[in-house]
Parts: sequence; C-alpha cells; structure tokens
Amino acid sequence: MAEVNAGDTAWILTSAALVMLMTPGLALFYGGLVRRKNVLSTIMHSFFILGLVSVTWVLWGYTLAFGPDTGLGIIGGLDWLALESVTGEPSDVYATTVPHLAFMAFQMMFAIITPALITGAFAERKRFKAFVLFAVAWSTFVYAPIAHWVWSPDGWLFGLGVLDFAGGTVVHLSSGVAALVAALFIGRRTGLIEPATEPHDVPMTVLGAGLLWFGWFGFNAGSALGANGLAANAFVTTNTAAAMAAITWVTISWLHKGAPSVLGAAIGAVAGLVAITPAAGFVTPAASVLIGLGVGAVCYGAAHLRLRARVDDALDVFAVHGVGGAFGAIATGVFATAAVGGADGLLGGNAGQVGLQVLGVAAVGLYSAVATAAILFLINLFVPIRVAGPEEETGLDLAQHGEVAYQV
Amino acid sequence: MVIAALASFAVLLIAWIVAPDRQREPVTVESVSPETSPVAA
Repeated sequence: MAEVNAGDTAWILTSAALVMLMTPGLALFYGGLVRRKNVLSTIMHSFFILGLVSVTWVLWGYTLAFGPDTGLGIIGGLDWLALESVTGEPSDVYATTVPHLAFMAFQMMFAIITPALITGAFAERKRFKAFVLFAVAWSTFVYAPIAHWVWSPDGWLFGLGVLDFAGGTVVHLSSGVAALVAALFIGRRTGLIEPATEPHDVPMTVLGAGLLWFGWFGFNAGSALGANGLAANAFVTTNTAAAMAAITWVTISWLHKGAPSVLGAAIGAVAGLVAITPAAGFVTPAASVLIGLGVGAVCYGAAHLRLRARVDDALDVFAVHGVGGAFGAIATGVFATAAVGGADGLLGGNAGQVGLQVLGVAAVGLYSAVATAAILFLINLFVPIRVAGPEEETGLDLAQHGEVAYQV
Repeated sequence: MVIAALASFAVLLIAWIVAPDRQREPVTVESVSPETSPVAA
C-alpha cells in the first residue's frame, strides 16, 4: 500500500473545497437568470442538493460509483456502503497517494453539482417535493452508474479507452441531456411572452460565474489527483479555455446583436469551462485556445437554436452543458497528446480515439435520456412534477417556500 | 451503525413524501431603519 503524500493530500482536500464552492456559485449563476419571484426556489435547488447528495453519496452513492465492480463494468457493489472500509489510508485503486476518504470527498463534490446543473432546465415551475425525489433518484440511478462506467478501472467505457479527465461526459453531458429531457417533460413556463425571460439580476449571475470559474480549478486541476505537473497543465488549460470562450461569445453576440453582452461573457466562460473539463489533462494550452474558440461559437449557436425550437430549457443547460460537454469530449479525441496525459488523439496519429469519444458521448447521452425520462415518469405518477398554474403565476418563492427574496 | 445511518435517511425520505405541499403566507420582514443599520453606523 502506498504512503500518503502530504502535498497531494493537501491539494486534493483543497480541490474538494473549491469544487464544493461551485454549487453555491451555480445557485447564484442560475438565481440571477430567473425572475425575481423565483430566485429563492432556484437557489434552494442547488443548496438543498448540497445537503442531500452529501448524505446519499456517503451512504450509497460512492460505493455504487467507485466500489468494486459487480462483474459487468456497469455498477459498483455495496462493499463500501456508508463508507465501510473507506479510511484515512490510501485506496489500492484510486489516487494511491492520498487518503481514500480524501478521494471520496473530492468525488462527492462532483456528485453534488451534477444534479444541481439540471435544475436550470425546470426552473420556475418544478414542485419542490418532486425535485427532492428526482435528485435522490437521478444521482443514484444515473450519475453513479455513469461515473462507474467512465472512471472505475473496471468500468466498460474506461476499459474501451474513452478519455474523460474531469467529467465532460460524466458530469456535463449527462446533466445537459437530462436537462433537455426534463424541459420537454415538464413543458414550457406559462405566461412567457418571449421564449427567454429577462434575467432579474445580471450581477448575481456574473458573481456566480466567477465563483464557478474559481472552483473549476479544483474540478479540473484537482482531477490530476496529485500536486504535480499534470495539475498545473490542467489549471492552465482550464483558465485559457474559459477565457477564450468568454471573449469569443462576447464577440459573436457583439456582431450578431450589436452589443457586447455582459451575460454572454458569463455564459461563454462557463461554456469554455465545460468543454475543457474532459480535456484539461490531455491537451496542451495551445489546444485549449482552440477548444475555447470552438465551444464559444458552438454553444452560442446552440442557445439560439434552442430559442427557435421553443424548448423551454429555462437556463440553457443543454446548450451549454450538453452541447459543450459533447464538444469537449470529442475535442479531447482530436487534441489529446501523449506528452501531456499519456494518450494521443487524432492529431497525434490516433484517429480511433475520436471514434471512442463519440461512442462515450452516445452511450452516456442515451442512457441519461432514457433513465431521466423513466425517473420523471415514475415520480409524476405519485407527485406531480409541475406546480399548479396559480402557484407558477405567484412564483415558487412564495408558493413553495413561503418566503420572498426582496421586500422592495 | 450502517443500518442506523440508512434508516435515518429513510426517515427523512418518508418525511419529504408526506410533508405538506401547499401555498403559505409570506414571512413578514421588518425593514431596517437607516439609524439602526450597520451601514449607517
């Protein structure tokens, strides 16, 4: 058994705390985008998940995602139920220089933010009780298996050689596709004059984007699972892609609509962060510039196509996380270089990696879509997913939580 | 201990299912006068 490395452990624990901060950051990011009568309910979705999944992950989520495989590469067993045998000693399999509990805590923060991302799709109309049941079910039956497929050494996608450094498919594609399914299932918000409502507090959203950007250094550089050169590479590629996507989105919106959008800078940065997530430890900083450029343009287009399609994915979760996650996963297959992360992509002479990445995107996207639809259907049989019309008109802050955000 | 931990979560899960789901009256929050505001101080 390897010894605990103090530097690696400090970095992983710090990264876990950084990723934890992303969920309140997401709450602010989403909270600013909704109407003022729904800001508390939107923030509550993320904040409640922070508590909820912290507990479910300890009890059964971690063992399903990372526990010893049950035989088919689909799901982990119950060996580590309630963290039995997960201790301060390193794991034999994961991050072998840090305490197993530190690795578990780092992964827990990913498990928390992933269902929180979906909440942007059903903002302003989802019944809180149904949301709670959905979050428990989704993190158990969708997130845990997908994490096992991609990140467990026994996972079937891992075994095939699919690359996902920090969660482009596990976190962003899975949540983005689930968001699209949820938006279609729950239907459009009532009373919308335009397909997109005006954000009630853009500074709140920009603050949230800033916290997300900050926390993403833990998300990606922490995924090196050590305080080393790979972490430094992931740190730099993460920042570069976010920056490039932000300025690309602003430029396109400036040319398209005649003004450099502040909101566009915030959303563009998040799109860049999403796309570099699977690639951060496999590509060079130069490649991250191209990934940022590409995803800024692609996600801008996806968001506008979504408007035309009249799908009320309220906060564009699919356009940013679904499309951005898929783009980043495939870009990883193009730009990966063995000198960085030990694997070559298309430009390194390994064209097959692109095919593997497409397979990973298809498998994760399809499973997330089907399983999310099944979960929503089953919950809706017992607890209506959507609030009643008058409640929606009143606003969820008052109707569901009995509180209001602003007294003026 | 594992069983107890799982059972404690199950209790919360049942509570969420049976918890009331109805519109409530807004909570009244008194405004802070400038004289007593920390900012004014």
